[in-house]
Amino acid sequence: MVQILDVMDKALNGKPMSETDYQLRLFAPKVQEKVKEYKIKYDPNNPVPSDNSLADDLFEAGLELLVDVGAYCTSSGRIISYTESEIKQALKDAPSRLHFGEGRDRKSLVHRNVEDKTPPWCLLGAGGGACSSDRSFLTLVEGYAEIPETNAITTPAITRVSGMRVRPASPLEVLAAMRNAVLAREACNRVGRQGIPIMNSLATAESDIAFAAALHPKFGMRPSDGYMICCMDPMKVDFARLNKATVALSLGGAIGMCFGPLIGGYSGGPEGTAVSNVAHHMMGILTYQASWLLPFPLHLRYVASSPRDMVWLVAASSQAINRNTHLLSINLNYTTAGPCTPMCLFETSATVTAAVVSGHSIECLGVATNKHEDRTTPVEPRISAEVGHAVAGMKRSEANVLVKGLLAKYESKLSAPPLGKGLYECWDPDTRRPTKEYRGVIRKYKSAMADLGVDLKPEM
Amino acid sequence: MSNEKVLKDLQNAILKYDSEAAVNAAKAAISAKMDPLVAIEKGLVPSIEQIGAKFEKMEIYLPELMLAADAMKSALVLLLPLIPKGAKGAKATVVIGTVQGDVHEIGKNIVSSMLMANGFNVVDLGVDVKTINFIDEAKKNGAKVIGASALMSSTIGSQKDIVDYLAASGDRRKFAVLVGGGPTTKEWAKEIGADGCGMDAIEAVKLAEKFSKGR
Repeated sequence: MVQILDVMDKALNGKPMSETDYQLRLFAPKVQEKVKEYKIKYDPNNPVPSDNSLADDLFEAGLELLVDVGAYCTSSGRIISYTESEIKQALKDAPSRLHFGEGRDRKSLVHRNVEDKTPPWCLLGAGGGACSSDRSFLTLVEGYAEIPETNAITTPAITRVSGMRVRPASPLEVLAAMRNAVLAREACNRVGRQGIPIMNSLATAESDIAFAAALHPKFGMRPSDGYMICCMDPMKVDFARLNKATVALSLGGAIGMCFGPLIGGYSGGPEGTAVSNVAHHMMGILTYQASWLLPFPLHLRYVASSPRDMVWLVAASSQAINRNTHLLSINLNYTTAGPCTPMCLFETSATVTAAVVSGHSIECLGVATNKHEDRTTPVEPRISAEVGHAVAGMKRSEANVLVKGLLAKYESKLSAPPLGKGLYECWDPDTRRPTKEYRGVIRKYKSAMADLGVDLKPEM
Repeated sequence: MSNEKVLKDLQNAILKYDSEAAVNAAKAAISAKMDPLVAIEKGLVPSIEQIGAKFEKMEIYLPELMLAADAMKSALVLLLPLIPKGAKGAKATVVIGTVQGDVHEIGKNIVSSMLMANGFNVVDLGVDVKTINFIDEAKKNGAKVIGASALMSSTIGSQKDIVDYLAASGDRRKFAVLVGGGPTTKEWAKEIGADGCGMDAIEAVKLAEKFSKGR
């Protein structure tokens, strides 16, 4: 069993290599070698493939990739290598069920199989998107906590402390991370969901010092929350990230490694990025000591997960993991379009459908590429969760037809998506409801979904 | 070796992402007493432009773009010092890096490679670059443009620090500051007094061209 001291030993004694050589001359060609060897082929006509052999080949390709290239430690400039037996043992030892939260909000995140009827774990919120003020933070998190399907919260990130813009690894970031913890708990308390877990702890803490400082119990974080640590693409780690892992482990917290391989990035096209996505799952449980995973593959051009090749990638790599392991994995999706637009809702519906029928749970979501402050509302994650529950148990072949219908509604607009409206333009914090205009958009969207064969809850 | 053959070798080295071949071809150009500007503009630039265009269309991906830029850089190290200062055609220098506290490099690497593909002399400072280092390196290398990348909403504040430092030290007019990366927007650039925000690599190159002779 590879533990944190073993990871450090490997990081200090592994093969020396420059970062450029690792990513350009080892990782990138090896990915393409696996794509060729296993004849992995993206099929635009089937964005949700039903091909089990493709899924199993992707799994083998990802496993071999990790054996061949390992992870890379940028702090020591060395490769962290794993043997095939170490990887297989880690897969065997990984949990298939984890408990998060407290009291009546304590729930189990369980492994899901392909076409599983079990509803996905719904980690709902902003996915670390930026918010402008404490007021926006509270408004959003209260809204997320009130969604009936919410199993856990993914908070926005705080960008200012007492009017001062956060600076990395400074007292401002430390204070912002502490504020992130306090306000997240406060928002959940305000709406009567005191026990709900915060699973992107802590979105505001990029540095290890801010992360560690905000975990002091007086700020409200609990061992039953989820401790998210982001991996650097491709398959890289540094001592700061390992510091975060060491601190989270010492508190008994369950680490979730998030990772975002890019179509167009170091892994190449959709096929290579799917292989990389699979390999990252296995790398995460070893290097980052993760007990759950949070993939968010993105498209380099659109910075979203809704283009056709991205949807294929999510479906194919999720099937690879869920047919061959019992890992706990939650796919995070990004849209190009913003709130109060049908396109945003169609985009998230497509990616969520692909992930859920392929066995993953869902984190929803980054709206309008998660780029703009306060351009997200509680509506988009709520709709995503409703779709996630509605498609659980659906056959992949049916999901393929549904996703093609959804793609037809937005695919041509991906290059110039509507940014929609800001938080306070389409969400009323006092009534805790979307505006009349947004409710109209949602009703039309739900009617279109019904036409595609998916009946969602009636919109009030 | 004929000049034609030397130019062909320079072109092929870039198209094949081959740094060693690029160095050999640059050495051959120097031995043949070829005007270094001709070697760059007729040898290296057409190929790197082709690479840039292919990347934009996603016919090739980031590794190929970066390897081609590496090959270009290997040849430029030999050829650029031979160009008389201020010679017509000499390209502007851009100093680029990811800001202090941020180790994300993909966006910065894409812009860096695309700038190179468009003929700029690029000084890439890497990631987690201190504010003062951007400015010192820009002065040292005679750059007109500073490019500051940031991926996180908690790190874009460091972009503002570059602009503020230049203003406080009386050097603001000497350098255009361009920002980019995940959470950066045109509104943010305006708010902090930066000269522009590249929403993608193509726009970043256009902005660098606009400010290549100064603000």
